[in-house]
Amino acid sequence: MDSPRIDDFEDMFDNAPCGYVTLLTNGRIARVNRTLLGWTGHTSDQMIGKPFSSFLNMAGRIYYETHIAPLLRMQGFFDGFAIDMVTASGEHLQMIASATDGRDAGGKTEFTRVALIKAVDRRLYERGLLEARDMAATGLARERENSELREQFIAVLGHDLRNPLASISAGARILGRDATTEKQHQILAMLETTVMRMAGLIDNVLDFARGRLGGGIVLARNANAPVEQMLHQVIDELRLASPGRQIEAVYAIDAPVNCDRIRIGQLVSNLVGNALSHGATNEPVRVRAVTEDGLFKLSVANGGEPIPEAAMEKLFEPFFRGEVRASRQGLGLGLHIASQIAKAHEGSLNVTSTAEETCFTFVMPLR
Amino acid sequence: MVFAHGFGCDQNMWRFVEPAFAGDFKTVLFDHVGAGGSDLKAYDKSKYSTLGGYADDVVEIGRELGLTDAVFVGHSVSSMIGALAVQKAPGMFGKLVMVGPSARYIDDDNYVGGFSEQQIEELLQFLDSNHMGWSAQMAPAIMGNPDRPELGEELTNSFCRTDPEIAKAFARVTFKSDNRADLAKIDIPTLILQCSEDIIASKEVGEFVHRGIPGSELIILEATGHCPNLSAPDEVIAAMKTFV
Repeated sequence: MDSPRIDDFEDMFDNAPCGYVTLLTNGRIARVNRTLLGWTGHTSDQMIGKPFSSFLNMAGRIYYETHIAPLLRMQGFFDGFAIDMVTASGEHLQMIASATDGRDAGGKTEFTRVALIKAVDRRLYERGLLEARDMAATGLARERENSELREQFIAVLGHDLRNPLASISAGARILGRDATTEKQHQILAMLETTVMRMAGLIDNVLDFARGRLGGGIVLARNANAPVEQMLHQVIDELRLASPGRQIEAVYAIDAPVNCDRIRIGQLVSNLVGNALSHGATNEPVRVRAVTEDGLFKLSVANGGEPIPEAAMEKLFEPFFRGEVRASRQGLGLGLHIASQIAKAHEGSLNVTSTAEETCFTFVMPLR
Repeated sequence: MVFAHGFGCDQNMWRFVEPAFAGDFKTVLFDHVGAGGSDLKAYDKSKYSTLGGYADDVVEIGRELGLTDAVFVGHSVSSMIGALAVQKAPGMFGKLVMVGPSARYIDDDNYVGGFSEQQIEELLQFLDSNHMGWSAQMAPAIMGNPDRPELGEELTNSFCRTDPEIAKAFARVTFKSDNRADLAKIDIPTLILQCSEDIIASKEVGEFVHRGIPGSELIILEATGHCPNLSAPDEVIAAMKTFV
């Protein structure tokens, strides 16, 4: 036989697995069920007639007045909000609640029903999640700050390295005037080469730091200055610095190129330097610079092992370094800076790599 | 007549009061930056770290609309935002209505604001537990289109929903504000509406504001709670009509 309690609505209200309160429009408690009395340890005499908010902790009271009560008036219900009640012994009871307004035919609120579920574990868990999120956010902010400081440090260091390097270069030139033996000339040539490589590295580091610090690469464009002459000069310097290696250059530039020549020189230097480091030593590096179809195209190609598939994606990222013999190991900024220079010129830098040839191509609009 | 909402919800707080004045006044409703349908991108942490930042916005709205001798109606913390705006732009407002104002919420020596510092910290923490269905993914839909009915179900709680970080910041600036020194500087007719039972702005707090503002008028409403503009709009309207 079914228990008579199954159909007993009074029993269902009083002993429901959730707390129930009915509030008058002034926020005072009209009815409260036995479950909630049991959870909170209050008697019904203590609760009935009192403002519901007086059984909440202070945060809950403020929240009740600023969010719950207004929302109920405006939308007639508020589902699934967190609220803390205070028990008779002064402890906080963490709950999740839903409330519905009872309204008359004219839409006027007559009372509000609130159902409350004990949610101590859930609320604790949520708090843990929030704390973890806050900690992650704080950690990230600190890391960002550190990394900005590091970049500032790099910028300052790079800048300060230029002066002593200029002294070495000047010193070598002065010594060169009195050099007599073949050995001395060899050493001085090596010094020049090293200074040039180091200057290139410093330029890249500085550009990287500037880019990261928000300065970006600033261009000094000039459409009238000849590009070919600059390319000659850069490639001659690279030839000098890489004895025993062959660099072939083909130019077909018959229109003015509106670019920053020093930056394009840096781009070429970075690309050729890369080809010399990674390409087959017994094959020439081929540079081709042309103007056609309203575009300036510059490609640098080398033979040797193709770039592995996995490396292709990361090629233009800062500090990416491919496998290379230690003496040629750089910072991994060359290609990154080259791509930034391309971008600053509203151009692109792309790469293709096959068993026959690896080729970087820079393309930019003439104006 | 400019209506400004307080901490918690948005301009919908005035939905039952504003229509009663729309016939005799040009009424202006707005959401503070960070609330309701405002552009969250305009939220500037440092600007809105004091009530002065919010008052600057009120003045900007007033200038844009060319307001002179207007009535400013502020609920809760916006009462004090109005008090600051009155000082910032003389002539813009001719009358001030404060609904449930408090010049300072935290107790201090002989002053009773109703809250302790620790309770306010507790509130800031507690606000994290009630994100009100806020999620960064939904924000653009909510913030950009507060009136689009097709968003229907998603708009649940939207009147009081905002980015939890902004809600916390607004709670902080609200409950830690101290405008006691500003009261004496209010030199326009001021009406204070005080609820009978309001834990956020108690009677003592309302009386303190009344004593502080020279020549101000205090009306004690029968309404209870902190939002008589929603719970007892007729009483609020009647009280305001005796003043404006």
